Amino acid sequence: MSTLATERVAVTATAPRARTRMRAGRLAAWLLAGWTALVFVFLFAPLVVVVVFSFNNSEISTFPMRGFTLDWYRKLAGDAQIREALTNSLIVAAVTVVLATTLGVLAAVGIHRYTTRLRAAVNALAMLPMMTPRLILGIALLSFYSFLQVDLSLVTVVVGHVIIGLPYVVLIVSARLVGFDRSLEEAARDLGASTWVVFREITLPLLKPAIIGGALIVFTLSFDEVVVSFFTTGTANTLPMAIWSMLRFGITPKINALASLTLLLSMIVALLAELIIRRTTAREGAPRPH
Amino acid sequence: MMRRRVSWAPAAFLSPPVTWLVVFFVLPMLVVVLYSVWQTVDFKLLRSFTLANYVNLTKPLYLTTFIRTIRISLLVMVFSALIGFPVAYFLARKVRRFRTVLLVLVILPLWTSYLVRTFAWMLILGTNGVVNYTLRGVGLIDAPLTWLLYSDFAVTIALVHIYMPFMVLPLYAVLEKLDGRLLEASADLGAPAWRTFLHVTLPLSLPGLATGCLFVFIPSMGAFVTPELLGGTRSIMTGSIIAQQFGVAFEYPFGSAMALALMAVILAVASVTLRYAKPRGVRT
Repeated sequence: MSTLATERVAVTATAPRARTRMRAGRLAAWLLAGWTALVFVFLFAPLVVVVVFSFNNSEISTFPMRGFTLDWYRKLAGDAQIREALTNSLIVAAVTVVLATTLGVLAAVGIHRYTTRLRAAVNALAMLPMMTPRLILGIALLSFYSFLQVDLSLVTVVVGHVIIGLPYVVLIVSARLVGFDRSLEEAARDLGASTWVVFREITLPLLKPAIIGGALIVFTLSFDEVVVSFFTTGTANTLPMAIWSMLRFGITPKINALASLTLLLSMIVALLAELIIRRTTAREGAPRPH
Repeated sequence: MMRRRVSWAPAAFLSPPVTWLVVFFVLPMLVVVLYSVWQTVDFKLLRSFTLANYVNLTKPLYLTTFIRTIRISLLVMVFSALIGFPVAYFLARKVRRFRTVLLVLVILPLWTSYLVRTFAWMLILGTNGVVNYTLRGVGLIDAPLTWLLYSDFAVTIALVHIYMPFMVLPLYAVLEKLDGRLLEASADLGAPAWRTFLHVTLPLSLPGLATGCLFVFIPSMGAFVTPELLGGTRSIMTGSIIAQQFGVAFEYPFGSAMALALMAVILAVASVTLRYAKPRGVRT
């Protein structure tokens, strides 16, 4: 809208009612800013509480704090079950990322580059798992496995995580695809390149930030997922499930420590993903061939 | 421009993901439908058609829980809208330089574990938690408030905390694209700020609001972890009951029927809301 200079001219040149309106507008802006600040406190304060108490030298996570300690983190490192759960979570997340990203990219490119008639239908199908509560996804898969008498294992967990992550990849990659103009791909096609070559040499490199960003998002979604894992796992535990069962027995600061670490991991991964997805979209103008 | 018809490309690209979705999403849902009209007798599955599960759903215990679940989900939705709209408006229309940073910060908690976020509220609302400690320390109360935790209040506030960013995102997207000249025109024609908001901003932001409401309402309806940890025995939600049926109770058919009932409510609300989610142009 108006820059500061234009505003100054406008203020001196306008009628009193317009000036009052401008002052009211500025008050509104400050009120909105204050509200937003409060909302940020609301969003992050609980997370800060979790982290702060993980250093509390006391069994009970309550005020006043009885001193600073790293004991709970040490206890975590020594817990074999936690280490096993962590390994399981990482394996599941890694496999989920590979599968969900591949399927998601294929879906997004298929929908936005090679389909016209079925586009809305396939897009809707791809988005449906995102619009379904995780609980329903979990029990549906459990029923499915029970019906087919398939044993539950980390494999069945991965399947569920892929269903969760796929729509996010489709969303992120589609956003980038739609923004890009097709002339590069069409030029390559006119020069005789096959569909596969166009996809591999033109489309994929252009989509790289979206693919990496989507992969990171899928990783953090899978790593943090507890409900679907709960219903589709056999005897193996993932890290969120370990936290969940620890919580059933009562709150100990060891949970704080574990929770703090998972918070840290999720936020770093998510931040990376956001930076990769956003920065390149803003920076690039028209796609340049290399 | 002439383009070669590549008729096998759609199939090549879409077969893997569509197959995966059909096998691991559509088919499981169909199994749920199937289970909902069967029964378990003595821990064995009886594969004969029956509507007994659905009749069972009308028992007062389950109906009350259902109503509580819908009530809480609607509250979460409304509070998220009230809290999130000003934030979205502020970021979309009043901030320039730090806009992306702030938006990323609002979205960031979304990618953290909802289990951890629920756990955080256990620490805050407990009898020795942050809130009670502060209120007692300041002298406002003598004994800790017991209704903070294991209550509708705890579940509601935690769900708002977890899902509110889902409201900010689509609202931001819509408000950012709003043509500022429309708001200026309204002001120039003499409309006070509240009038401009009610008659210009709000109607034009309806698609974003509808989408945001849906993105908050749906997961709230299916909430399981949060009511399980924060609701105690006073505030049970349908999600917990469904989960029990698929646990030791081994009542897959009854659980399936309840799950379908939940989905039916979600679909009903979604179909009404999605009608408002279509972006409207400006009528000239």
